[in-house]
Amino acid sequence: MKELEKTKRISIAGTLFILIILIAVLSYERPKHLYKVNSAATLEKIITADYFVSLDEIENPNYILVDVRDQIEYEKGHLENAINITTTEILSDDNTDILNEIVEKEKVALLYGKNPNEVNGAFLMLTKLGYTNVKILSVENSYSDNQLITKNVAIEKPIADIKAFIDESVKKAQKDAKAKVVVRKPPKKKIITVKKKKKAPAEGGC
Amino acid sequence: MVKKKVAKVLAFRYMILAGILVILAGGLVLLPKYEKHEGIKTEQLLSNIISPERYISTDNLADKLINQDPSYLLIDVRDEKSFNKYTLPNAINIPLAKLLDEDSEMYLNQGQYDVVLFSNDNFYADQAWILCNRLNYKNLHVLKGGVNEWYNTIINPLKPAETMPAEAFELYTFRKAASMYFGVAYPEQFKTVIKKAPPKPKKVITVKKKKKAPAEGGC
Repeated sequence: MKELEKTKRISIAGTLFILIILIAVLSYERPKHLYKVNSAATLEKIITADYFVSLDEIENPNYILVDVRDQIEYEKGHLENAINITTTEILSDDNTDILNEIVEKEKVALLYGKNPNEVNGAFLMLTKLGYTNVKILSVENSYSDNQLITKNVAIEKPIADIKAFIDESVKKAQKDAKAKVVVRKPPKKKIITVKKKKKAPAEGGC
Repeated sequence: MVKKKVAKVLAFRYMILAGILVILAGGLVLLPKYEKHEGIKTEQLLSNIISPERYISTDNLADKLINQDPSYLLIDVRDEKSFNKYTLPNAINIPLAKLLDEDSEMYLNQGQYDVVLFSNDNFYADQAWILCNRLNYKNLHVLKGGVNEWYNTIINPLKPAETMPAEAFELYTFRKAASMYFGVAYPEQFKTVIKKAPPKPKKVITVKKKKKAPAEGGC
């Protein structure tokens, strides 16, 4: 009797155990996109590798231009032979296929957008996903008379020496102030206003 | 004889079963680790990257600095040379290369301060932000336009043209005042300072009017 109860308990526990494993296996969904590069490796890549390409070099047949702006912008005007992969859609199945195809052909995807800052997100995302053949085209796109104008830009170039500017302004201001001080020596004038006595109304008189 | 041996082994059957389970559990350790897949989900990271929420404008930051908001911590991600040349007031230097060092984590991965990352533009600051966001660090912001924008708007604000709306002039006044706070001097600033110091109080002697005497006399 005792033995029977034990067996029962074991079979119940066993069934439960198997059931839990089954549920776990069935409910486990492998994420579609996994990072293939960890943060430290990504950081190392972005500080060591040279991933900027300037406009003069795009003639290289190895490069495939990828426009990361949205579709409306892309249709309004884009570089020759560029394909459109919007940053927001970069993880979609179609785009993954396109990117994988580029990898298979051993070409380099050259990302560009309104400016390099805009491409940054897409570039880092792809780098983290393990695409090593991604570069940034360091250009700025603007419109003039509905014509797309593409210019080279320098990344993170300081536009001014701020410290020098501040020092200069202080010097200049002091100089100006001194010059003005000389001219304007405040005269020591004492203003004494003495009110006139009002004429007393005519007195008397006959 | 055989039966006895079998019975002996069977006596340990639960132990044996438990042992097998423990060994199986130990096998989990040997499973391939997803070490590379650290941090938040890729889809989540992408939507964070697209969102402009992380940006703080230079005007906003200047306002915070002038009011000496204690909850803001500035981090300069440029290299040491640029940092020594010029940086925003009270900023800490964490070059991009040292972003994931242990010392840096202390500043980046905390919930106490609102951290503002900046570089010359916002390109490198964005990269730093994206790397940190993947590791799920909170309270990080990026200075929109970086030091260059800081120079254009706060340090050297452009005087609005006559035709511009009143808001432009208000903004200019604010920016000019802010630039004075951050060390820029204007000629008229000195003028007013010097003008104020020497003026001696005018001595104005007022002689009290005599009350009109009522007309006297008369016949």
